[in-house]
Amino acid sequence: MSKKLFKQIRNEWRFNIWIFVELLIVSVVMWFITDYMYVIARNYIEPRGFDISHCYLISMGKLTPNSHEYNPADTTDNDDRAELLNRIQHRPEIEAASLSQNSYPYDGSNSSMIISHDTIQVGNDDWILRRLVTPDFVRVFRYQGANGETPEQLANILSKGNILISDNLFNKHRMPSLTALIGKTFHLDTDTTRNYILGASLKPVKYNDFESATHSYSGVVKLGKENYKDMNELCVRVRDNMDHDFIENLWRDADKRLRVGNLYISDIQSFYDLRISYQRLKMNTVRNYTAGGLFLMLNIFLGILGTFWFRTQQRRGEIALFKAIGSTNHDVFIRQISEGIILLSIATIFATIIDLNLAFANLNAVHDGIYFEPIRFIATVLISYLLTAIMIIIGTWFPARKAMSIQPAEALHEE
Amino acid sequence: MKTIFKQTYKQLKEQPIISIVSIAGTALSLFLIMLVVMIQQVKVAPFSPESNRDRMLHVKFGSLSTKDGETNSPLSLHAIDAIYKNMKTPEAVTAYTYFPTREPLSANGSKSFTANVKLTDAAFWHVFDFKYIYGKPYNEANFKAGIPLAVISRSTAIKLFNTTGDVTGRTFRLKYITYKVAAVVSDVSSLATMSYSQIWIPYTTDQETCNMVWYNAMGMFSTTILMHSPKDEAKVHAEALANLNKYNLTIKDSGNKLVNRNRPYNTEKESINFAANLEPDLSAEHRTELIVFVILLIVPAVNLSSMTHSRLRQRISEIGIRRAFGCTRWSILSQIITENMIVTLCAGALGFIMSIACGFIFTDSLLTPAYSFSYDNGPMVNISILIHISTFFYALAFCFVLNLLSTSIPAWQACKNSIINDLNGKR
Repeated sequence: MSKKLFKQIRNEWRFNIWIFVELLIVSVVMWFITDYMYVIARNYIEPRGFDISHCYLISMGKLTPNSHEYNPADTTDNDDRAELLNRIQHRPEIEAASLSQNSYPYDGSNSSMIISHDTIQVGNDDWILRRLVTPDFVRVFRYQGANGETPEQLANILSKGNILISDNLFNKHRMPSLTALIGKTFHLDTDTTRNYILGASLKPVKYNDFESATHSYSGVVKLGKENYKDMNELCVRVRDNMDHDFIENLWRDADKRLRVGNLYISDIQSFYDLRISYQRLKMNTVRNYTAGGLFLMLNIFLGILGTFWFRTQQRRGEIALFKAIGSTNHDVFIRQISEGIILLSIATIFATIIDLNLAFANLNAVHDGIYFEPIRFIATVLISYLLTAIMIIIGTWFPARKAMSIQPAEALHEE
Repeated sequence: MKTIFKQTYKQLKEQPIISIVSIAGTALSLFLIMLVVMIQQVKVAPFSPESNRDRMLHVKFGSLSTKDGETNSPLSLHAIDAIYKNMKTPEAVTAYTYFPTREPLSANGSKSFTANVKLTDAAFWHVFDFKYIYGKPYNEANFKAGIPLAVISRSTAIKLFNTTGDVTGRTFRLKYITYKVAAVVSDVSSLATMSYSQIWIPYTTDQETCNMVWYNAMGMFSTTILMHSPKDEAKVHAEALANLNKYNLTIKDSGNKLVNRNRPYNTEKESINFAANLEPDLSAEHRTELIVFVILLIVPAVNLSSMTHSRLRQRISEIGIRRAFGCTRWSILSQIITENMIVTLCAGALGFIMSIACGFIFTDSLLTPAYSFSYDNGPMVNISILIHISTFFYALAFCFVLNLLSTSIPAWQACKNSIINDLNGKR
């Protein structure tokens, strides 16, 4: 049967060449899209290392002499911020609140640092995010310790002056985990005079949803009250059951109870909104690629449907003859579908060669700096093959059903 | 001509499935191409307050090379004045904060809320053409004197004063400073990336922001240059570069140097300018667009070809008879192409309408700016600005190309057969 099928495909090559060309182009583009989506999905499903549900960002501003409420005598910026933090912490709906500098997730402003331990130094070529925070920061975003420490335990460690470093920091130095170094001394930046004790290693905190965790290095350092003036982010976690109209309610008190000295609340945003705003460009790209992929799949469906519809009509006599000499409906159906699948398989072989070239030319998506990974390559080729095959099967379905319903006697009579 | 229409209609009716498939395929392809064009167009299409986008050049960020490496950020007023504001060629130059901040405001002692605030000079109102509902913006004298006047958007005015009436002259509290409303303007689309805000105030009323300067050259301000004509671009570039070099001489002692990276950029280049440490690569962007268009064009074309091919095979004896009676190949070829053209045009019209409908319904999700400073102000673009008569002709041209691609080869193959074979229904 299959031999006959191949012969038939060859005999019809003039018609099949169109489908073949289409399948070839589509296979390559589909692979490209699948590859991109694969990388996106792989990064997206990785644990983020933080949790922004019920979290809000409160920004602060300082009065200027232009304001008649300005108090030139108030120079206690550190105290003002501590007092505001204190007042917010004492609101009933607040679970945790913290001050920080360039630290909250989905923020475009970053600080980096160098961390060294013994002879290993990281941060010169790689980017280590430096998070300067008050201890409750890890409770707001529910950071997790690599040894299973809870956010509360981590906050406790921070308040003792110990530092937290992401568990993956030395993964390029054959040290996949940092847990063995807990309690050891580290140095920050190039200052070797001050010792920091590693209090706990953190489950890696991703820079954003689409960045891979493997290379998201970060360190969390506690800042004392003397540095509060440099911390313009006040992040809060609202209790799960009390997260209603939080922003509205806070604004109501912002002018009265939450004005401290020259300090005022300038903005309140939920982290859901911050995330959407921050990742919009990426989300648009994902949307465009999805639309492109769907478009190609629809085209395959339409093309196969159209072509095979004609074919079935032309082969009425042929199919009738098949049935007359004993083929079942099932045989006829399978034969129709196999034709498309065989064409796709041949096209995929050629497409794979093109895909390989694209991958080696670094023109596809990149994951952790790698363009070609055997497993990913095979998986994406297979996925795009399967997606196209599904469209072919749906496209052949209608003509194939039509073919099955042919009555041999009638069709042969017409001949 | 009438016969052709009739024949086409009959053909379509004869094979309803195939007709639907070809029309859907073409319409879908045109639909997507139109959407891609819209998404591209909105970055450069002129609309208020950026109606003069073709005459604008922007410097969003500057790059300063220092001994510690390169620092990229908006510029200081000092640098903008020295390099861009004293240029002779352009019609006007404005300095403003590119990133609007969010600040609290309130009127009559009511509860505060936040809005986007942009700091500008007086020339800003000349470069960008806002639609004034009430009042006039602050002028050069007001600006220089640092009078706390504000231009506010319509929706902010309503939220603030609870009225749609004339609120010019009324006061409100912004950042705990009392400002007077100078003018109310129509809400601005968040896609007007340079001019977007909800409140605009003179930067002279915020010395703290003006004084946020590092290395002398870097600060909080960006600039937009309005040229007399788009043709002046090269001249403005030359003048800007000369001024920049002059400026670099004045800061030579510090060891720092501004890196130009071919700034200022025109609107198209600025629209893909996301990182200040790289010059946007417009040709790479165009290449990507071209690949997308080619794929969107080729795949349906191959599809349609395959179907036309099959369809013509069924009509092969008809072609034979016509040729036996003296019809030329050319006449048959042109008939097939015309027939297909009619179908393609119908499908094209369908796709065109679909894309416009989709554009109207899904404006918000379709035309989002890459980075938005706004959480409560959508793109609010009237899709009609993206639909020019030229767009329609592009769509038409696209249909024509698609048609030619998909019919010429099968039609030619159908015609070149010998008449005897045609009559026999053989290939």
